[in-house]
Amino acid sequence: MLNGELFPARRTTRLPGGYMGRILRVDLTTGKLTDENLPEEPVLRKFVGGQSLALYILLKELPRDAAPYGPENKVVMMTGPITGTGFTPGGTKVTAVYLSPLTEYTLGRGASSGFWPVYLKAAGYDGLIVQGASQRPVYLFINEGNAELRDASRVWGKGARETEDLLRAEVGIADARVMTIGPAGENLVRAAMLCNDYNHNAAHSAGAVFGSKKLKAIVVYGTKRPPLHDKAKLIEAGLRWRKTLVVRNVDEKKTAGHAEDLHALPNLNYRSSLIEDHARGFDQNRITLRPCFQCQRLCPWDVEVMEGPKKGAVGHFNAGSEWLDTFFNLGVKGNEVLYLAEKINDLGIECSHFSCGAAVAFEAWEKGLIGPSDTDGLAFEWGNVATIDRLLDMTARREGKWGELLAEGPTQVASVIGGDAPKWLVHTKKGTPALHDWRPHFGQMLREIVASGGMKPQGGGSAKPPPDLAYREKWGPLDRDDPTGWPWSQVLSEQYRQFCGVTGGCWFAQMHMKPDGLKSVADSLSATTGWNFDLDEGMIAGHRSMILQTIFGTQRGWVADHDWQQVGQRFLEPIPDGKFKGFTIGKWMPQMVFDYYRLSGRHERTGRPFMDTLQKLGLEEFSEWAQLD
Amino acid sequence: MSEKYGNLIPTGRLLDGKPRTILFDATKCIGCRQCVHACKDWHDHPRTSVYEFSSSNWIQMDPPVLEGLSPLWARNSCMHCEYPMCAAVCPVEAITKYDEGPVVIDPVKCIGCEYCVYACPWGVISKDEVTQKASKCTMCAPRVSEEKSPFCVVACPVGALDFGLEEDMTAKAHARASEVGGETYGENEAGGTQVVMVLKEGKAAYGLKFILPTKYPAHKIPLGLMLKDLFTPRCGIPGKLRALYLAVVHPKRLLYRYWPRRA
Ligand code: SF4
Ligand code: SF4
Ligand code: SF4
Ligand code: SF4
Repeated sequence: MLNGELFPARRTTRLPGGYMGRILRVDLTTGKLTDENLPEEPVLRKFVGGQSLALYILLKELPRDAAPYGPENKVVMMTGPITGTGFTPGGTKVTAVYLSPLTEYTLGRGASSGFWPVYLKAAGYDGLIVQGASQRPVYLFINEGNAELRDASRVWGKGARETEDLLRAEVGIADARVMTIGPAGENLVRAAMLCNDYNHNAAHSAGAVFGSKKLKAIVVYGTKRPPLHDKAKLIEAGLRWRKTLVVRNVDEKKTAGHAEDLHALPNLNYRSSLIEDHARGFDQNRITLRPCFQCQRLCPWDVEVMEGPKKGAVGHFNAGSEWLDTFFNLGVKGNEVLYLAEKINDLGIECSHFSCGAAVAFEAWEKGLIGPSDTDGLAFEWGNVATIDRLLDMTARREGKWGELLAEGPTQVASVIGGDAPKWLVHTKKGTPALHDWRPHFGQMLREIVASGGMKPQGGGSAKPPPDLAYREKWGPLDRDDPTGWPWSQVLSEQYRQFCGVTGGCWFAQMHMKPDGLKSVADSLSATTGWNFDLDEGMIAGHRSMILQTIFGTQRGWVADHDWQQVGQRFLEPIPDGKFKGFTIGKWMPQMVFDYYRLSGRHERTGRPFMDTLQKLGLEEFSEWAQLD
Repeated sequence: MSEKYGNLIPTGRLLDGKPRTILFDATKCIGCRQCVHACKDWHDHPRTSVYEFSSSNWIQMDPPVLEGLSPLWARNSCMHCEYPMCAAVCPVEAITKYDEGPVVIDPVKCIGCEYCVYACPWGVISKDEVTQKASKCTMCAPRVSEEKSPFCVVACPVGALDFGLEEDMTAKAHARASEVGGETYGENEAGGTQVVMVLKEGKAAYGLKFILPTKYPAHKIPLGLMLKDLFTPRCGIPGKLRALYLAVVHPKRLLYRYWPRRA
């Protein structure tokens, strides 16, 4: 089936439901825009969409010696068949893949929700391949299947929100949707994000790759909808899926966020995990839930600060709350955190990249390794909002020594400071984890560390076995003092999270801990496409996506040992205080990493898939990268 | 039911004849427009602009700003009037009032004369540029006849929309209005409608129109439009004949159609 071209000039197989049938290839060097037909049905059934299909394309096209900021790097962005049907929760996802500017040798992946992915399909495209580099700033405008590159000089240098408004006005379509980079992407901050629909970001460097290509934004509009194989069945499956949702609410936006679930919050560079009055003043704010397209999980929200020195500030957020911990970690509390969080998102800097770097610098100041003469007079004091505010601007624009360093990342900050500073680092393979204190939690820590040799995980690490998998899985113990069950739990949860993602679904909306939480996703995919996708096939599709991710790293020199060798020391230190005082998964490393790779059909030291794994997943074409013994 | 209307408008029954009402609680609405998209999704309408009424956009959540970016939201869509002016003016009986509530345009009968577009006090009817037929919210009549709620109601993620028997919804609206110190809208306007709203501020704050509690309220169909139909081939010969026939059979309706101010 993989003879013939990936993008057939004429399809010889059926286009399954849910797909628009076309990918737009954007060559920024030549300015040429080409429509490609989606691959044939057997390829689609294997890779479905999202990360998996995008990465399969990237593996076929990206030169082995590409550099992250070279014009030869490509960003492949894919939705999935359930994106934009309107009948399921979470049908909102687009996933971008590229060579990561953070690690420079593993897969970079950014994913986002909201409305933009839906309108990309409404404009007639399932995805995009962005390649080459423009001489001058441009944006891509796709309107009802017609694409053009336009001059972006008017919005170059502007923040994400303003760019969104200006471009919507410029194209003259109130319903148009905008995905853009902020100044951080333009200035190649290594972890710059893509920002869309005000509340949404695709983290992990996609923005920096856009910036290197001088692509400021992609504006989409169209009126098409994906054809559906069986609409009635899809509505039924979608309503079932909806029933599994844990619906978010306004009250939880008045707390310290996900830290409350984790019972730990990073303070002063992960040196205390106690939750105190961090959320002070949040209860007085005006909060509006601002859900994604047709999703009832209600993650995104807006805030108007009603108290404190930043009264009147407005913020647009999604659920994650990493951006809260980002500034808690720098000693800020209360509503000034929300002000700074809005700013970092508008500038388009991935929050943990900034926080883990700045925290090392602040700790160095506290311990006297650096002083005012090193900082141009800025006081690197914990909780100094004015300093942090200034550093955000400097980072996004690479201004001055600290702007440059923070834009590069925490490891560079630490090595320039020298002394003990490298010991205070939180990072994995030079990238930074989603900013929470994951350390008390086995599954989440393993997830952050391995991520199938990428740098960012796509969900995973569940502490609870999904009821929908009870028919085929026996869980080992998932205990705090026993590592036995966790690696397998990670292998499985990575599979079902990946599966949800490749359908074009949002893994925030995927409720694996609820009965029907996984089955309803598979049934939604089947009703949309006409395939008879059961959970077994779903888990295989997820597994395939994981393996492709490692193959990408393998091709560029990554080995599994890097996963546990290149981890910031602070990230593996025992929890200093609180409920889980003294806990660390460090004592089970690297054995847990070995187990994880072995259990997922890969070699425990190289991370390469075994031949039988490739055969089982129908990935024989990559046997060149298999572990042979 | 039909006694209530004489033969002024076509009436019909979908189910059990019990009147139903859509309840819109503006005090809960977050302006997400999931109802708007759900309507498009259910009806396979193209994803046309959500900011203006069209034959593929039957609900308008105002003001016309991005989702969530306003403290107050108004639902604008067909009110399913008890005494629907649109049906009274239609020269070809294309619009039926059903006992259960829905006021539905039959596109097969419609000749595109636009009288209803002008007669509707809320201005919620559009004409499809291609098919030249009038179009608006149907209260998901096919769903209602299967005892299901309209799809917009199903979609609302925060329970700002509800659907049920008229008496239940009205009671609920009143209870909620007094709970939040607000008021209701839609119960008396135009002689009563089958959409009731709970507002926390006055209707003006929501941009909702002030409509007298008059059945079949006064309205105006431009003279040019009326004459056009008499003297041009617009609306087709069969359409004209049908209009003529109905004018003879139901002369009282001419009052509404040609002397509208005398309602
Ligand atoms: S789960 Fe949350 S982030 Fe995902 S689509 Fe739904 S509302 Fe958006
Ligand atoms: S609101 Fe307008 S369209 Fe709806 S029933 Fe009343 S008059 Fe007719
Ligand atoms: S356009 Fe004319 S014919 Fe059609 S429903 Fe309206 S009034 Fe009736
Ligand atoms: S779906 Fe509900 S909350 Fe959203 S705009 Fe409609 S009525 Fe308001």
